[in-house]
Amino acid sequence: MKNLESLYGDTLNLDKLFSYCPGCGHGIVTRLVAETIESFGIRERSVSVVGIGCGGFSHHYMEIDAIEAMHGRSPSVAVGYKTAMPENIVFTYQGDGDMGAIGLSDLLHAANKGMPITCLMINNSLFGMTGGQMSPTSLDGQVTTTTPNGRDVVQHGFPLRVPELLRDMAGVKFLARESVADMKSVRHAAKSIQKAFDCQIKGLGFSFIEIIVPCPTGLNMKVKESYEWCADQALEYFKPQIFKDEME
Amino acid sequence: MSGETLFLKNSETFAESMVRCGVRYHFAYPITPATEVMNRSAVILPEYGGRMVQMESELAVANALAGCACTGKLGATSTSGPGMALMQETVSFMAAGELPCIMLDAMRVGPGDGDIVGAQSDYYLATRGGGHGDYRVIVLAPDSGQEIVDIMPDAVRLAYTYRTPVLFVIDGVTVQMTESAVFPETNNYAEEYDTSSWSFTGTKDHDKRFLLTGSYSHTQGEEMNDRLRKKYTQIVTQEQRWEEEALEDTEVLVVAFGIHGRMARDLVSRMRAQGKKVGCIRPITLWPFPDNAFEDLPTSIKSVLVVEMNHGQMVDDVRLALNGRLPVHFLGKTGGDMPMCTLAEMEAKANSLLED
Repeated sequence: MKNLESLYGDTLNLDKLFSYCPGCGHGIVTRLVAETIESFGIRERSVSVVGIGCGGFSHHYMEIDAIEAMHGRSPSVAVGYKTAMPENIVFTYQGDGDMGAIGLSDLLHAANKGMPITCLMINNSLFGMTGGQMSPTSLDGQVTTTTPNGRDVVQHGFPLRVPELLRDMAGVKFLARESVADMKSVRHAAKSIQKAFDCQIKGLGFSFIEIIVPCPTGLNMKVKESYEWCADQALEYFKPQIFKDEME
Repeated sequence: MSGETLFLKNSETFAESMVRCGVRYHFAYPITPATEVMNRSAVILPEYGGRMVQMESELAVANALAGCACTGKLGATSTSGPGMALMQETVSFMAAGELPCIMLDAMRVGPGDGDIVGAQSDYYLATRGGGHGDYRVIVLAPDSGQEIVDIMPDAVRLAYTYRTPVLFVIDGVTVQMTESAVFPETNNYAEEYDTSSWSFTGTKDHDKRFLLTGSYSHTQGEEMNDRLRKKYTQIVTQEQRWEEEALEDTEVLVVAFGIHGRMARDLVSRMRAQGKKVGCIRPITLWPFPDNAFEDLPTSIKSVLVVEMNHGQMVDDVRLALNGRLPVHFLGKTGGDMPMCTLAEMEAKANSLLED
């Protein structure tokens, strides 16, 4: 009989209690990453560099080495690590605040270096851990604790589409935006995460995926509502697509 | 002494020395007067199977250095004051994470953009930790190309033994000076240290490990600080270094580091030749400050003169070490075409103190 252990192997730590809130999209993405590592048989040489924010919890659920970097700096830490230890598989797991706000420069230059590392930006459209503040990716009109009347693009600027910034960089070999808004999206996201890691394993270059997820707590919504918001509103602006697939 | 004599800018000597002692990864961003370190390491590191990685900012530099250190391998960086200030969050991170590395602050005039001429303006920044939190890094202040070479193996030893960043602070005058240095046989000292008990090389080598400098419970923050405090106490006890000259029967004691420490030696020989009782102490470790050097001073000393290329920073540590036992005077200068005190100014000040 199949049990969870036989399905997920050694990578996903099923004993660890989740710190994610009920319905949080991180839970799905963390599982997908663990499944990818397991499927490639790279657990023992994988290292996760996590950001500050809820994404920082992700490594607790995986039996791999991890580095909790300073806020926003994971891509630079990954560059340094990969320079010294190119045989290991290094990926960053960051939120949209960590990566799109304070750490945008680190991401852009790490991507432009074209070094074979993998960066994942889990975009829930707000700062989750600190209590639902506006992030660079909050939607036009989105109510957050720092935009009580909704994000006003005149005042706060426009929601930032991060992968679009990386599209023209020759060193970026796999680039996608995915979501976990529904089952079909999750299956698609799983394939892209597989490709992003494969890109690194083959040493082709930099790989990046933005994954749109709901944060029911930060959005102040019921879980079901938050997934509907994600599918209807977030994906309307952040359209899932494969921007680049230069894997051959 | 057997070895190879090279006639180099001391910034290049720094690069040669760190690479010959085991640094294989150098992360840097151009900044005067430290740039020649990366120029040279870019050329020589590939010969040793390493790399100079030019990053986009000192923020990225420091974090790449931290990532490198997580593998247990020895990385380095070189910068000047503004870059050093940018790196401080991550220096704090590396101190907390107990990650070894070698750093150089080739000091120039501050604050702000300041000036690119040499200074000793970063004494506070270097010796008080520099970033957030209750931590210190080991600070070495060689006064010549030869001392850079001589002290580098010890710097590697300190970095690995105590698992800490080791920071060289060298005034921009010394860094840009060209002089001879004798290099001993090349030896990868970093390889002599077993990092398998703590490095993050993957679970093929050990059970899951993760680098945590934060806390999931309030006791973790306290435990981290207690652990660091114990280590710092041990460093203060065991690792103070200084050079002293002509202390016996001295009446005026000159205290200076770096280029002014080197000049203080000249001052002592010049004034001793005139029968004037002047001696000097040159701190080589700025943290830990060599308090022990000031413990059993001769009773002949009437006063102490601290000379710095700033408006008075190390003088505070001299006062703390003396704890009110002797009057402490200060002579300092920063910036300008002559960004330091001249030997004549030092001599005039010492003479006036002798006559007091």
